[in-house]
Amino acid sequence: MPAYRNVRLCGKDCLCLYVCPTGATDTENSIIDVAKCIPGCMACVDACPSSAISMLPDKYPPPQIKMDTVIMAQRVLGQSKVQQEKIAETIATLSDSPVTRQFAKAIAKSNRCMAEDILREAGYMLPQSTKVRKLIEILIENAPAGFPKDAAELLLNKLQKIVV
Amino acid sequence: MRKFKCSICGYVYDEAAGIPEKGIAPETKWENLSDKFICPTCTAPKMAFQLLNEAPDQTTVLSTDNSNKFIETIAELSAGEISAICSSLAKGCEKQRLTEEMDSFKKLADYFKIKTTPIQQNTTLHDIIKMLEKDLNQSFSVANKAAKANADRGAQRSLMWSEKVSTMTKSLLERFTKEGDLMLKNTNVYVCDICGLITIGDTPPDVCPVCKVPNFKITKIERD
Repeated sequence: MPAYRNVRLCGKDCLCLYVCPTGATDTENSIIDVAKCIPGCMACVDACPSSAISMLPDKYPPPQIKMDTVIMAQRVLGQSKVQQEKIAETIATLSDSPVTRQFAKAIAKSNRCMAEDILREAGYMLPQSTKVRKLIEILIENAPAGFPKDAAELLLNKLQKIVV
Repeated sequence: MRKFKCSICGYVYDEAAGIPEKGIAPETKWENLSDKFICPTCTAPKMAFQLLNEAPDQTTVLSTDNSNKFIETIAELSAGEISAICSSLAKGCEKQRLTEEMDSFKKLADYFKIKTTPIQQNTTLHDIIKMLEKDLNQSFSVANKAAKANADRGAQRSLMWSEKVSTMTKSLLERFTKEGDLMLKNTNVYVCDICGLITIGDTPPDVCPVCKVPNFKITKIERD
């Protein structure tokens, strides 16, 4: 469980420098050095007056179980948003007008955000979840041409399994 | 005297109070406001307001019916859906500081994005309006009912945001089809990184009117 500093909250109070027993917080780029950080030590977390340091969890809780009616309804909307993104992207590439292209670009980005959020709530929130693992396995099994198999296999190897 | 609430940001127009600083006198009735009236906080159009009903919401009956357990394994995910799921998981990995995993999910997202069915070249913004009409008239209410019936707070939250964003986009698109490029000629366009809300104006809002994220998470869309 290493510590993580949120640079946006960091008030450069620098108390973490004094309390850290290993110097892990004293880095050029403000990112706490995971190699030096003593997992679970908490000294910097407790010392920081700006509440800018927190611990990254070791384990993530199993995700909430999604009901099929919810999954299906979310997917209908997710599909629609993905299609709208595609239409907007096509217009953003083909239109002659710079203003129309700009507006279409905004619509494409907006739809990607919505599709991600809506489908995340269809049961794909946690990268470590069984459902996500299953999806990656199915993709590898049915890998179409050009599929980035290495990336998918890396995910299966590296993502921690959640035992429910 | 009645009150009308902006369905995008929650601002309430009170007929009794008017908005004197905007030249709208107290006791100005809703129907006497100009059609060009826009929400003073988030610029949503007049049509985005709803009559505020003081009566409390009826409580919904809880149902935990999950008898259709087989549905999702049969209904294959489309390439577009897989792409959005993977780009969302990449964001999840970024939050967990899992850089390699984030990059891998991005690769999968990009791969499936290219694999999505191409769109006909003659599509127009009207096609998006038509799809938004279906979302807003049908799909959102089905999804909201399902999420409520199963007390799924996460799904309800996602639907509340995306329904507001969709309403706003539809009204912007309708204006754009009337006014054309002039609508945006001398103004900037912004998109919220979190909920996707599109806002137009000289500066981004301080916080997103829909998801309330501060504006360092709001991106300016450049004109090229």
